Amino acid sequence: MFKELDPILHSQLRLAVMSLLIAVKEAEFTYIREKTNATAGNLSVQVQKLKEAGYIEVTKQFKDNYPQTTCKITAQGIEAFEAYVKALQQYLQAGQG
Amino acid sequence: METDDKELSPQESLALIKTMINKTKDSVADDSFYFLLWGWLVFVCCIAEFILKVYYQYPYHYVVWWTMPAAGIASAVYGARQSKQKKVTSFVDEALGFLWMAIGLSFITLVVINIINGQNWQTAFTYYILLYAIGTFMTGSLIRFKPLIIGGLINFALAIISIRLNYDNQLLIGSVAILISYIIPGHLLRMKHQKQKN
Repeated sequence: MFKELDPILHSQLRLAVMSLLIAVKEAEFTYIREKTNATAGNLSVQVQKLKEAGYIEVTKQFKDNYPQTTCKITAQGIEAFEAYVKALQQYLQAGQG
Repeated sequence: METDDKELSPQESLALIKTMINKTKDSVADDSFYFLLWGWLVFVCCIAEFILKVYYQYPYHYVVWWTMPAAGIASAVYGARQSKQKKVTSFVDEALGFLWMAIGLSFITLVVINIINGQNWQTAFTYYILLYAIGTFMTGSLIRFKPLIIGGLINFALAIISIRLNYDNQLLIGSVAILISYIIPGHLLRMKHQKQKN
């Protein structure tokens, strides 16, 4: 039934990350971790997958000698997210009818 | 969010999206520091200049305004520190940054215009109050904080009233304007953010 849904987005944690990033300009890894309650390891893996798909941009830099990872949604990511939401709505409408 | 591979239904997906977007709503930075710094400083300067000019007839009464560049530096240092600590930048934060940058430039522009214009400061406060009104009304609307919106709206009216007053009384109306648009909303905003933290 869900074959047409983007498999990159149709995963709980990746969808949570994308939903956070669509609402802000950019966010740090630690912020995303706090809001999703995910483990650092799992979140790293999912962030990497989103990055490989071209949906988010990941910047690593040092601030006061601490490594800092900032994530930002890309234009491609926004497009994919919108298409995903649209597909979800179609499923729901089909379910109702 | 313990697992990654849990199969989501469309309803669950939409609910998750909604929840996560809602979680970003409290991510607008606490900007009360700027309102309190500028608010109190301008308030004290207005009153101090009024006392120096009216009661002491001190010829260099305007010297109080030389504290403004110091406040500019304090704001810049605070801003740089905050941006280092900041974990998230919302679109509202970004918009507010540009808005206040434009307003800051407008203040400087007005000072330059007044200096070029033969030191005619008679209308200075009218336009400063107008800028307080624009800045606080827009900030209040963007962060959905009523005290700033109300303060801004009152300042539009005060700007009109101020044009009929002489310079001495403009100093007093300036202090009232900053009290209503910066100081009171600034303290309320700080209280709101502190409540959110606890």
